[in-house]
Amino acid sequence: MDNKLSILIVDDELSVRDSLSNWFMEDGYDVDTAEDGKMALNKIQDNEFHIILVDIKLPGMDGLELNRRIKAISEETIVIIMTAFASVDSAVQALKDGAYDYVCKPFDPDAVTHIIRNASSHIQLNKENLSLQERIKSLVNVDAIIGESEEILNVLEQVRVVADTDSTVIISGDSGTGKELIAKAIHMNSHRRFFPMVTVHCGAIAENLLESELFGHERGAFTGAQYARKGKFEMADGATLFLDEISTISMKMQIELLRVLETRRFTRVGGNREFKSDFRVICATNRDLKSMVDSGEFREDLYYRLNVVSIRIPPLRERVSDIKLLAEHFVKIYAEQMNKETRFIGKRAMTALQNYDFPGNVRELENLIERAIVIGQGDTIRLRDLPLEHVKSAPSWESIQEMEQHHIKSILDKYDWNISKSAKALGVDRVTLYSKIKKYKLEKSS
Amino acid sequence: MSLIRIIPLQFAGVETMEKILPILSARFGMETILSSQRLDLTPYFNPARSQYNANDIIQSLLPMAGEAEKVLGLTDLDLFIPVLSYIFGQAYLGGAVALVSGHRLDNARYGLKQDPHQFSERLVKCIVHELGHAFGLKHCHMPGCVMVATTYVEEMDQKADRFCPECQSELTRLKAAS
Repeated sequence: MDNKLSILIVDDELSVRDSLSNWFMEDGYDVDTAEDGKMALNKIQDNEFHIILVDIKLPGMDGLELNRRIKAISEETIVIIMTAFASVDSAVQALKDGAYDYVCKPFDPDAVTHIIRNASSHIQLNKENLSLQERIKSLVNVDAIIGESEEILNVLEQVRVVADTDSTVIISGDSGTGKELIAKAIHMNSHRRFFPMVTVHCGAIAENLLESELFGHERGAFTGAQYARKGKFEMADGATLFLDEISTISMKMQIELLRVLETRRFTRVGGNREFKSDFRVICATNRDLKSMVDSGEFREDLYYRLNVVSIRIPPLRERVSDIKLLAEHFVKIYAEQMNKETRFIGKRAMTALQNYDFPGNVRELENLIERAIVIGQGDTIRLRDLPLEHVKSAPSWESIQEMEQHHIKSILDKYDWNISKSAKALGVDRVTLYSKIKKYKLEKSS
Repeated sequence: MSLIRIIPLQFAGVETMEKILPILSARFGMETILSSQRLDLTPYFNPARSQYNANDIIQSLLPMAGEAEKVLGLTDLDLFIPVLSYIFGQAYLGGAVALVSGHRLDNARYGLKQDPHQFSERLVKCIVHELGHAFGLKHCHMPGCVMVATTYVEEMDQKADRFCPECQSELTRLKAAS
């Protein structure tokens, strides 16, 4: 079992260098040696060493000076000072100058093993820390959300504006449009980002379990409740509570949820103790909550409590200009993950993607690209690698009137029959648009 | 020739050693013999430390290998290498020579009742471990494997005198490659 850490031993005594290098090589480390500070600095310039053991008494530059120079070159390198003469002053000085530890020769085998093991853990933790920081940065960055269409830029602008407030947000959009990603972007740009985003997939949990999932329960609250358990409201204290598929919760749960949202106070199932929790709520839905209110399926008071800020994510078919960017982004990610040489998307394949309906939205595009990379050959995704089922057929209208009628209808649908926005998009005034609607007897699709 | 030669160097338990030989033969799949060669260790004594320099002894054992593939010096004397306060044994990765001391393996040293059986078990583990290094094996992290690094006898008692499957197959590979 090889350790990948590399160690440099700096000591003027050959026997010490030999003994230590053999000792560390048996442990699987990459080991190099230097007999003085000058040689050590030369080696450090050419190679990366994770740990450097430095004898304090060296000919020419002493160990303390070498330690300072190593730290100037590479702050994160671990330096362990060795000496045959224990001296508190020099030990303190070495530690002040950034040395990791200090050992007296000869040392117990156990002592050196422990020091190196601790140093290895330190290096490992540093690495993990850096990698986690990078991952957090990528989550925090709203710019990391791919898209340059006006529609997605509007969404991102809304995210920026709303993120650092504590306002409740409803994110609506078809399945696969990336509602959870937008919720994460809001959370990670808020002051609550150092706490987790607690997610509840309301649609995936049976109603009787959802209550206990959200509120938690006390021991003995119901059969099988052997232990008390925290609910998501409690877990989200200081954080963000993301309620996915909010439209699926029952009327009874809607009442209970409304009460908690108003007071931020609740009791666990089967308990009397009242808990207080400070959380921000973000909801997601793929249904139109307003029409659910109209039809009596969703409580109006809860709707208004939740609907402080509303963000609608347009389906992919409404932002065709993002398809190329997203597809190329997924190619990069999956080719790297799968260690494949795929780099490009062929012209015909890209045209087919841009003409595809994408009923499954970004998620479907992602899956298509992943599959194409798995089965494809060479560095380019070809049309044959894409199993596209809903490619838009070429329009078969013959007259200009027919074409105009369909175009106006599609624009009206796109802007949810908002006349002002549709007229602006069509480049006509509102009166003209009304007359066209009347002329072609256009109606809003149910 | 596939032969391991054990050279007792001021080692009192030669009878114990004779019992251990078949175990070593089994572990390494090689004939293991006890040599009658002699080496005076007086020059390797360091009066400041009251210990014997293992690195220097290993250098002197090198010419004594003869036709044997590996040579192991076995002593009751207390060994050191310059940077460490003591060692149980010493070998260089892929080297021809290994050295083991029984000095710190005896319970009597720690004020406990002597236990010849336990001493013999520890000695086997130490010898197999150092010879493993001489064949090119590095320290192993698999609990119980004889190649786990140990710095106390208590730790040594926790491991077996056998290689884990991974070290065993690595040993087979190294032997075939040599």
